[in-house]
Amino acid sequence: MAQTLAADMVSVAFEGLRALSDVTLEIPAGRVTGLIGPNGAGKTTCVNVLTGFQKPSMGRVLLDGQDIGGLPAHRVRQAGIARTFQSGRLFADLTVHENLEVTGVGLGLSRREASRKADALLDWIGIAPLSERLAGGLPYTDERRVAIGRALMLEPAFLLLDEPAAGMSAEEADDLSRLIHRIALEVKCGVLLIEHNIGLVLKTCHSIYVLDSGEIIEFGTPDAIKASEKVRHAYMGTQTDAEGEIL
Amino acid sequence: MAERASILSRTIATPVILGLLLTAIALLALLMGSGPFNQTIIDIFIRVILVVGLYIFIGNSGVISFGHIGFTCLGAYMTAWLTIPPPMKKMALPGLPGFVLEAKLPFWVGVPAAAIFAALIAFFFGKILMRLSGIAASIATFAMLALINQIYSNWEDVTGATSSVVGIPINRSIWPYFVATLVAVAIGYAYSISRSGLALRAARDEATAAAASGVDIPKERLRAFVISAFVMGGGGALYAHSVGVVTPDTFYLGLTFISLSMLVVGGMGSLSGAVIGVVLLSTIIQILRLFEKGVALGDTVLTIPNGVQEIAIGVIMIVILMRRPAGIIGNREVGWKGLRKA
Repeated sequence: MAQTLAADMVSVAFEGLRALSDVTLEIPAGRVTGLIGPNGAGKTTCVNVLTGFQKPSMGRVLLDGQDIGGLPAHRVRQAGIARTFQSGRLFADLTVHENLEVTGVGLGLSRREASRKADALLDWIGIAPLSERLAGGLPYTDERRVAIGRALMLEPAFLLLDEPAAGMSAEEADDLSRLIHRIALEVKCGVLLIEHNIGLVLKTCHSIYVLDSGEIIEFGTPDAIKASEKVRHAYMGTQTDAEGEIL
Repeated sequence: MAERASILSRTIATPVILGLLLTAIALLALLMGSGPFNQTIIDIFIRVILVVGLYIFIGNSGVISFGHIGFTCLGAYMTAWLTIPPPMKKMALPGLPGFVLEAKLPFWVGVPAAAIFAALIAFFFGKILMRLSGIAASIATFAMLALINQIYSNWEDVTGATSSVVGIPINRSIWPYFVATLVAVAIGYAYSISRSGLALRAARDEATAAAASGVDIPKERLRAFVISAFVMGGGGALYAHSVGVVTPDTFYLGLTFISLSMLVVGGMGSLSGAVIGVVLLSTIIQILRLFEKGVALGDTVLTIPNGVQEIAIGVIMIVILMRRPAGIIGNREVGWKGLRKA
């Protein structure tokens, strides 16, 4: 299993507009790394680059030192880098079980093997009772957990979670935090957690990157990030005071 | 945790029930025993084959194709080339290569050869077309249909251009058509439960997430495209043997419209929908045709104007799209206990 996923001096420009500038970050295996930043800082673009949905204009994406920057998204997943999406994006007309099965099939398993893995994983996450429900009709929180399950099929080396707690209550976010820890510990995944819920990030992550206007402005442990003047400034400058006080 | 039943045992009821429905239709023809009715039943079987062919690609990928009747054209002409008696071929189609001109193959060789030929051509078209999505893909398939039609309408010494190609051996027994229809349904079922079928339905619902799940979407689409072209080509060849004559315009907009209507009315997302759509609309068409010719009620003959048939199909399609956009069957399949989720 791969040990590190890294962005090396990655820049992305959309028609002259710079979404990311010289971003360098590293996601180690078995740990939870956070990525925070104000709206429009380039967090999702960063995930898109790391998962093959966006080609970097400059720089490299390295999986254990090997450049995977040009691979299409399905090949990146086959290489062991999984992701979820902000909007869930479940296969609405398929059952929960089939949603997971698709990943198994996409990674080369037979339907029978994929089906077995899907059942085991649904059990592990604790959503086995949902397996025959159509994914399109699920409540928000369940949708998020199914999306994580779908990404976790066949134990990827890395899992990138794009705002998995959006819209969750404090209690649900706590459950999610526990699940993320289990993923890092038991599946030995390197997890990248992107969140607006900064409390969740501070509680869950081992180390945190802060992105502002497409640049990494700070990196450190949760305590260091809490104390950082630069981070406080970035948030105060672009967001309401109320949100700034969360730090 | 209980071991889950295999996908085959959970879904096998669908092709079995559809097979029984088709068998019932075949037996009906046998009971009636008359020539014209036999022909009607053969027409229904051929349409089931064509619509199941459409379902394999459209139903699973969600990409509407206006081009598949082009493959039917390819299949019909291929079996004509292989099975028309050599003396007739040399007169009508002198441009064919020598070994084809000399060939006098039976229809049971011509039909599979036609299906394989259509699949082969689909592979080359698909290599390019399957990179496209949504409306762009649909329009490109339409361009493909126009392209095939133009080639076959103009290649005088190979296709006879727009004039009829005659002399295709006619087979009036319903059994070959019945067996071919069962084979088409079996292919449609096998594809829908296959890995590729599942991956493609995922891509239909959410292309981005399917790619993030490791699915190579153009590759899976190409598989469905080639398999569906195989079925469409075989259907075209059977059509040729059911009437003995082919022209390029038989396989153009009219047939495209009617077969897509049947798929939409029955339910694009399901094999059962494809089969039931054909049976339902074919029955309505037959009844309206009867009235177009005139039905005697006592002393008066009731006739409806020509064209009502097409108008009725159009109206039914619009009403279905308004009331039940997923078709009569929707995204479900028939099972022993009624409908179940596809």
